Amino acid sequence: MIRLQHVSKVFGAGPSRVAALNSVSFSIAKGEFVVLSGASGAGKTTLLRLLYGAEPPSEGDIEVAGFDVTELRRSEIPRLRRSIGIVFQDSKLLAGRTVFENVAFVLRVLGTPRRDITPKAFAALKAVGLSARAQAYPNQLSQGEAQRASLARAIVKSPGLLLADEPTGNLDEEMAAEILGLVKDIWSRGTTVLFATHQARLVPQLKRRTLRLEGGRLVKDEG
Amino acid sequence: MLSFIFNEAMRDLRRAGRVGVSAILLIALSLTALGGFWLLSLNLGRAIDQWGDRVRVIVYLKEEPPAAKLEEVMQRIETVGGIQRLRYVSKAEALRALKRSLGSQADVADQLPRNPLPASVEVTPDAAIATPEGTRALVARLVALNEVEEVQGGSQWVEGLEQFRRLFQGVGLVVGAVLAVAAILTVTTATTLVLHLRRDEMEIMRLVGATENVIRWPRLLQGMAQGLVAAIVALATLEIAYALAVPRLEPLLPVTIGLERVLFLSPLQALALIGAGAMLGAVGGLLARGRVPA
Repeated sequence: MIRLQHVSKVFGAGPSRVAALNSVSFSIAKGEFVVLSGASGAGKTTLLRLLYGAEPPSEGDIEVAGFDVTELRRSEIPRLRRSIGIVFQDSKLLAGRTVFENVAFVLRVLGTPRRDITPKAFAALKAVGLSARAQAYPNQLSQGEAQRASLARAIVKSPGLLLADEPTGNLDEEMAAEILGLVKDIWSRGTTVLFATHQARLVPQLKRRTLRLEGGRLVKDEG
Repeated sequence: MLSFIFNEAMRDLRRAGRVGVSAILLIALSLTALGGFWLLSLNLGRAIDQWGDRVRVIVYLKEEPPAAKLEEVMQRIETVGGIQRLRYVSKAEALRALKRSLGSQADVADQLPRNPLPASVEVTPDAAIATPEGTRALVARLVALNEVEEVQGGSQWVEGLEQFRRLFQGVGLVVGAVLAVAAILTVTTATTLVLHLRRDEMEIMRLVGATENVIRWPRLLQGMAQGLVAAIVALATLEIAYALAVPRLEPLLPVTIGLERVLFLSPLQALALIGAGAMLGAVGGLLARGRVPA
């Protein structure tokens, strides 16, 4: 599902040059659940951004869901992203739309037939246990609920790969465990998951293969 | 998908608020100016065409030809080309015409020792050459004939009117263009503001895999809708101005530029104005740039 070979990413030039990633190589098979751990600034977010084509690598080759991301033209990036669900630390819900509208927005943007939008959006909300809050606005949700809505939005288009960028970073332990449980449910239904976290205490709980980044280098791949 | 793009465009239009209204007013102003100049130029053009049809050239002959040679002279004149009609006016006929025009003073002409008026030929140019350039060339050809003393008439004043129309069109185009650029910039500003408000939405659209067309089309439609509304406002303004001005102007027209009626833009020309409005709006919408993460 994911393959990186000697991938480096450098920002800036000269004295302001920063190497965010340094010759990172790994593979993730279809259906795997992999944890990407590391302190803040280790390069986790940069790595995820390279995977969904938000940044080009400075060096190396990247393959995601059958797409050669390194060679991908700008106009082809939307096709790559349609096969990926993404969740962030902040939920990025649209403030002027209800939870249902936030989830349905993705389907509308992607041209899903009108008759399929409501059932698919409700199915995604049901999968994260948020059907009862479908008509609530983001400012009426708890942080945990907002993150669950964000997960529903990520899976509503049935992606083969879920990239989670610190989705539990802002949550207390109970809510974090809830979100982790939901991500595992999504994975158990066949979705490949790459779960980035800086919360070291979460890693043993997950009991999954873990990639550890330090200063832009991959220092551990175990589990 | 189409309904999504349309709904988003209308949502953006509502969000544009006062800046959106300013853009509509500016486009309307530029189209009203363009349409106004167009309307006037159109009617001036009709007057010029009408006067062009009435152009006459008078060819004064050195000597009155004897009846036996008249046919020959008329043929020689006709051979210069570009002539629709010829009418011979003898010295006697010219004097009779003079007396008619003098009315009660006609007996003044009887005091003359002899008829001083020359014989002449009234030439009506072909419609195809009844232009300032065509008439000038015809006059030059007639002057070159041996029998001809002098050639008068032509289209000097029609030429003046034509020059005025050209100047008028030029001023109209310049004023219209300046206002059009201002309108495009205002639509661009309005759309950029909306893009700033929609930043989060556009980020999500990009992240979930929306194509650039889906992201851009609402922008283009928003501008186009502004342009269309503005064009309708401009047409309504022109129509009202026309309805108010025509009753006051029409009695003066026959004695000034010779037109019986002032015409409004034809349905096709009105459609062209609406199309120009939509285009101005669309260009403004497309030029808008929002800083949205990749």
